[in-house]
Amino acid sequence: MEQALQVIFSATFIAAVLRVTTPILLPALGGLVAELGGVANIALEGIMLTAACAGVLISVATQSEWLGLLAGVAMGVLMALVLAFFHLNLKADVILAAIAINILASGSTIFVVFLLTGDKGSTSALVSKQMPFVEIPLIRDIPLLGPIVSGQNLLTYVAFIAVALVAVFLYRTRAGIHLRAVGENPEAARSVGINVRAQQYLALALSGLLAALGGVYLSMGYVKFFARDMTAGRGFIALAAIFLGGKTPLGTMIAALVFGAAEALSVQLGNLRVPNQLVQMIPYVATLVALVVYALAQRQRAIARQRKFRQAQAT
Amino acid sequence: MNKRTSALFSFTVAASLVLAACAPAAPAAPAAPAATQAPVAETPMAGAKKRVKLVLNGTLGDKSFFDSAQRGMEMIKSELGYEVRTIELGYDRNKWEPGLEDAAAADDYDILIAGTFDMSAYISRIAPQHPDKKFWMFDAGPDYEGKEGGCSNKCENVYTVLFRQNEGSYLLGVLVGELLKEGKLPGAEGRTKVGIVGGADFPVINDFIVGFKQGFAESGLDPEANVLVQYVGGDSPFNNPAKGKEIASSMYDQGAAIVWGVAGNSGNGVFEAAVEKKLYALGVDSDQYQTIADPAQKATIITSMLKNVDQGLLRAAKLDAEGKLVYGAPESVGVAADAVGIADNENYQKFVSKEIQEKVKAAYERVASGAVKVDSAFK
Repeated sequence: MEQALQVIFSATFIAAVLRVTTPILLPALGGLVAELGGVANIALEGIMLTAACAGVLISVATQSEWLGLLAGVAMGVLMALVLAFFHLNLKADVILAAIAINILASGSTIFVVFLLTGDKGSTSALVSKQMPFVEIPLIRDIPLLGPIVSGQNLLTYVAFIAVALVAVFLYRTRAGIHLRAVGENPEAARSVGINVRAQQYLALALSGLLAALGGVYLSMGYVKFFARDMTAGRGFIALAAIFLGGKTPLGTMIAALVFGAAEALSVQLGNLRVPNQLVQMIPYVATLVALVVYALAQRQRAIARQRKFRQAQAT
Repeated sequence: MNKRTSALFSFTVAASLVLAACAPAAPAAPAAPAATQAPVAETPMAGAKKRVKLVLNGTLGDKSFFDSAQRGMEMIKSELGYEVRTIELGYDRNKWEPGLEDAAAADDYDILIAGTFDMSAYISRIAPQHPDKKFWMFDAGPDYEGKEGGCSNKCENVYTVLFRQNEGSYLLGVLVGELLKEGKLPGAEGRTKVGIVGGADFPVINDFIVGFKQGFAESGLDPEANVLVQYVGGDSPFNNPAKGKEIASSMYDQGAAIVWGVAGNSGNGVFEAAVEKKLYALGVDSDQYQTIADPAQKATIITSMLKNVDQGLLRAAKLDAEGKLVYGAPESVGVAADAVGIADNENYQKFVSKEIQEKVKAAYERVASGAVKVDSAFK
C-alpha cells in the first residue's frame, strides 16, 4: 500500500497521466464542440485513426514532422467534412454515417499501409518523424514541477491550451455563441437568421481538427509509428468524457484526466504485487463509477428542477 | 420508409439464403472429399505436392512471432515445392473461431497450420470434424485427451510442436544476470533490474518468465527483487504497442537497465521506450535486431530470444514428407534442437564480453545435455 501511494504521488506518475490523457482530451474537446453544435460526432475514433496514419506516412515521405502534422490534420478535417456532407446535405443518419466512417478508417488505413509497405500490422518498418518534446527553460529546473510540466510532447501542451481556447471560442465569441444556439434549438436559431447548416459544418470541421491532433499525437508523439486500430477505443472514451464533464470544456478536461489517471495507474500498479487482473480493471471500473455518479447527479438535478417547477406552479 | 424496410428485408432474406446454402456444405465436406483424397494420403510419395495453409490469429508484420511462422511457410515452399498460403484473421477475437472454421471447411488444403494458446480450443473442436485433413499446431496443442469436450477423436490428425521457450529464456536469463552483475552497460551502470513486458498472463508467456528467472538466479542476483514483470492484458494484449511502451517506461523509471517484451507487436513499444530512456531492450521470437528498421531502436537490442517457429514448421514438413511425423501427440523441441536460443549478431558481440559469452555457452551445454532441467510454467 505504501509502495502504491509512493507511486501515485511521484512526479513520473503525474507526467504519465498527462501523457496518457492527451489522446483522450483532444478528441473529447472535438466531440464537445460538435455536441454543442447539435451533432453527435461518434466518428472521433475513425478521424483519429485516419489522421494518425496520414501523419506518419507524410512524415516518412517528406521527412518533416510539420508536414506530417499538417497532412494528419487535413485528413481529419476532410473526414469530418465527409461526415458533415452525408449528414447535413444528404440527410443520412449521423450515427450510421459515423459508424461507416469508423469502419472505413479502420480498413482503409491499414490497406494504404499495406500497399506502401507490404505490412499489415504497423508502419514500424518505416522510419517516421515525431513531434518535438519541449523542454521549458527555468521550469525544467524546479524540483517536483519540472519533470511534470517540462519535457512533454508539444501536442500535450496543445491539448491543455486547447481547453482554454475552446472555452473562449464557445462562450466569448460570436461564432461560438451562434454554434451553441444552433445546438440548443436549430429552429429558433434559424428564425433569427443564423445559417444552421454552416454552423454545423463549422462544428464538425473543428471537431475533426481537434480529434486529428489527438490522432497525430498517438502516432507521432506517444509512439513513433502507426499501428492497425491503434486508437483502441480512445475516441469512444472521449465521448464518455464529454458527458461526464457535463458538456463543458473544463468538465471534459477533468473527466479526461480521471480516465487518464486510471489508465496510468493500471500501468504503474502492475509493477507491484497486486493481482494483474484487478489492475487491468481499473480504467473500466473508473468509467462505470463515473457514469453512475453522473447519472445520480443528473437525477438529483432533475428532481430539484421538478420540485422548483411545482413550487412555481403552486404559487 | 416502406421501401427501405422492404429492401432491408429482402437483403436479410438473401443473406440468410446464402448462409443457409453454405451451412450444409461444411458438415458434408469431410465425407465427400474423403474418397478423392484418400489415395493421395495413403501413397507415401515423397515428392507429392501438398497444399499447406497457415491460419494466423493476427496479422503479419509483427516483426516477431507470426512473421517467423511466415518465413517457415516460405521455406516449405522453396525447399519442398509445396503450395502455400496464409490467411490473416486479424486481432479481433470474435473472428478467430468462424475464420478458422471457414478455412478448415474449404477443400483447398492438405495441411492446415495454426498456432498459439488462443487457437487450441478451436482446433480441438474443428480438427475432428475433418478427419481426412492434417492439422499442425505450433506453440500450443489441442486438448488431445478430450477432457473438456475437445478432440472427440483424440486429435489423431493433429501434430503439435511446442517450443521450450523456458530453455531459451534460461539462456537469456543467464546472460542478463551476468551483464547486470558486471554492471558495465554504457549508461546503465549500477542498475541491477530487468523488466519483462508479457502479453497476457497465460502459460506460454509465463514459461518464458519462469525460465528467465531461473537463469537470472545463476548470477547470484535475486530474481524476485530484480526481475520486474508486467502484462499488457486488455483487449489486444499482443497488439498494443502504446501500452507496451508505457509499461516499459515505468520499468526503466524503477531502475531497470534492460526491458524484454514478450508480447508480439506490443513489444515494439518497448524499443521506443528504450530509445527515449537511452537504455536497453531484448527481442523475442525473431532476431529483432535484424527485423526492426529504425537504426536507433536496433541499437538498443542486445540480443533476442529466438523461437524458431520457421525451423519448427520446416522440420515438420520434411518429417511429414518422409512419413515420419507423429500425429496424435505433442512434440516439444528445445535448445538441443536449436529450436530456441539466443541471437548472436553485431550488437551481441558489442555489448557482451567474451567472458560472459563463455558463460552463456556453458549454460547452453548444461541445458542441451540435460544436466540442468529448466522449470516450466506448464504442468
